Amino acid sequence: MFQPESMSRLLIVASKQQLEPVITELYRMNIFHIDDYVEKGDGEWEGFRIGMPLAGADVTSAALVKIRSIASAFGISKDTVSDAERSSINVLKQRIEQDLPAIAEEVEKLLAKKTKYESMVKEYEQRIEALRPFIDAPAPLELLQGYDTISFIAGNVKSPVSLSVPCEIWEKQLKSGYFVILAVKNSDVSTVERELLDFQIQKIQIPTETGSASQVIHEYELKIEGLKKEIADLERQMGTIRDKHEFFLMSSEEFLSGDVEQAEAPLRFATSEHAFAVTGWVPTSKVTKVFENLDKACAGKVYVSELEVEDYNEMPPVEYHNPDFAHPTQLFMDLYSRPRYTEVDPTLLMAILFPIMFGLILGDVGYGVILLIMSMGLRSFVKGSEAGNQLITVLRNCSISSIIFGLAFSEIFGFSLPWQPIWLSRHINMGGAAHGAATEAAAHGMEASVEHVSHIPQLLVISIWIGILHITLGRIWGARNAAKMDHGHHRTLKIYANIGWILVMWGILVLIWSNFPIPMMPDFSQLPALVAGLNPAMIAGAVMLILGLVFIARENVLDLMEVPTIISHVLSYTRLIAVGLSSVAIAMVTNFIAIDMIISPQLKLLSPIGIILVIVGIVVFLFGHALNTALGILGGGLHPLRLHYVEFFTKFYRGGGKKYTPFGMIRKLTKQTD
Amino acid sequence: MAAESVAVEVAAAAASAAGLKAVGAGLAVGLAGVGSGLGEMGIGAAAMGAVAENKDMFGLALLFTVLPETIVIFGLVVALLLMFQ
Repeated sequence: MFQPESMSRLLIVASKQQLEPVITELYRMNIFHIDDYVEKGDGEWEGFRIGMPLAGADVTSAALVKIRSIASAFGISKDTVSDAERSSINVLKQRIEQDLPAIAEEVEKLLAKKTKYESMVKEYEQRIEALRPFIDAPAPLELLQGYDTISFIAGNVKSPVSLSVPCEIWEKQLKSGYFVILAVKNSDVSTVERELLDFQIQKIQIPTETGSASQVIHEYELKIEGLKKEIADLERQMGTIRDKHEFFLMSSEEFLSGDVEQAEAPLRFATSEHAFAVTGWVPTSKVTKVFENLDKACAGKVYVSELEVEDYNEMPPVEYHNPDFAHPTQLFMDLYSRPRYTEVDPTLLMAILFPIMFGLILGDVGYGVILLIMSMGLRSFVKGSEAGNQLITVLRNCSISSIIFGLAFSEIFGFSLPWQPIWLSRHINMGGAAHGAATEAAAHGMEASVEHVSHIPQLLVISIWIGILHITLGRIWGARNAAKMDHGHHRTLKIYANIGWILVMWGILVLIWSNFPIPMMPDFSQLPALVAGLNPAMIAGAVMLILGLVFIARENVLDLMEVPTIISHVLSYTRLIAVGLSSVAIAMVTNFIAIDMIISPQLKLLSPIGIILVIVGIVVFLFGHALNTALGILGGGLHPLRLHYVEFFTKFYRGGGKKYTPFGMIRKLTKQTD
Repeated sequence: MAAESVAVEVAAAAASAAGLKAVGAGLAVGLAGVGSGLGEMGIGAAAMGAVAENKDMFGLALLFTVLPETIVIFGLVVALLLMFQ
């Protein structure tokens, strides 16, 4: 608990004849995290070099590339294929040899055709664009070119053209400016071009076509239509091939990528002329399994041994070790940074506290139920995405916590449930709501003043208590991490610094308690004065404060600048109540506007306009609560996350651990062995 | 007559005190919100840039972006205390 999975370092050595069985067995087990062998530097063993890929790797890779290119052309992936059945590897091998070349050839042919047609369509479309300005031209296109003495110039100009040389001008007004076609003598061309610059001409090439522009355009459009039909036909053909071979393609992709990974594994091993060696990490609980399985796979011709690990800092890969319900929270940990091997892994605590904080903020039965339904509905959308599934599970846990807190706070969409809040209430005195509640409470013989209907100061104090305890735990873990991860003098200083931070915080608290009585907190202000008007609590608080400051300063004097953050970080936890109250307020305002202001006055005197207003009121009601739900997810999710990341993790968390990625694969579409 | 006018004055004073409290609460949230917004403006832009370059920065970027937000929470708490204590 609060620790990553314990890892053991293994060394596997065998002769090269055993290379293939060892790799196959390791891949099958999918628990061995290989340490890549580095030829240069500290990790080098004399006489050992990086290995060569197994025979046949290039052929397999080639086949794999072919399959992947087909898959990308078809737009299929492993996730889109149903994994209801699995192919056997022998059948797959056979089919890859026999069927794959034919399929690849056919797909390539179809693809080539499709690309050709598509490029033709593009070309025709470009030609149509070029022809468009000439639709209204006074003469067929073939008459606008090919003369010995006359040249034609076409283009867009800003204003009507008038030239100093004799010419023939045809103009057409456009949205901005004019389209002109000019006929000039060849000898005048350069003069005309210069003069045209004054009209800011953008020249347009006259297309070399015959007939009127609209006729030619029509012909091209017919051609494009024909081509598009052809393309659709090709796509249909490809669709048939895809449907027929989808499963075969994806399962052989899985099989081959496993094969390639195995064939290339020696690139991570150390090899000599006749032997190879590899080191890696295995969860300690599975070490004996590796010993037994490798021994069996190689008939005893392999040497496996567990290595001593002197320095655990950073080296081993990190795999979470949490109870099942905490797994989704690992998403938030990876989002921040994976813990290091030797440090405290706070995932479990976060898995418990995060939903509680969410519920404190969005404690409302109505919103909770909406989120619960949402989390169930969204589940099918994130199929196949692990992170998505984790997020949905977190949302589900949070919504359940929200419902529980809603029942305790007696809140549903800002209305109260038919019972009084359990213990503390956060009903706000809005539009005299608390007066009504107070009267009702009085009728039941309870405390009846408005102040007692909502307990906002008390709730704020509770949130501060959460902060104090959370941060104290953070500092305790900070000391523990320092004890485990640092060395020598630095280690001692760091442990004392963490204790110092705790002392300063509690010292300040004791000082406050000894001067001011605060609800729901110890009250030392009534203690008898000991010396010079100071009571024992004040003296104890001052001693703790000063001792703490000394401890902090011994580690790093500059850290004293951070002392005020103690107060700001603790007060930051009041957001749990403050943000929650703002969502209560939005809900109550929505209800007040929609029901008290719009709907109920109309219901008293029903009129045709009144009915429309009632509908408007309902729309306002729905819109307001939809908005508040969205804000609730954002506020309820981001604030607890931030409290963990900023206020909690900064006290102890280091992060930057290496992810545990075992050599192997989880097969979805192929059988492990035959 | 005199007693009546005193009663009216007292009521008016109480009402204006309550009104000023509400104004104070509004200012506390509003100004704190403006401050947080100004603070988050620059950080948010830079954080987006960092995340665009390297997706692993997301956690850290989020952390930095929400740092100034504490201020508005303080404003909100002050407002709540003004209104409800």
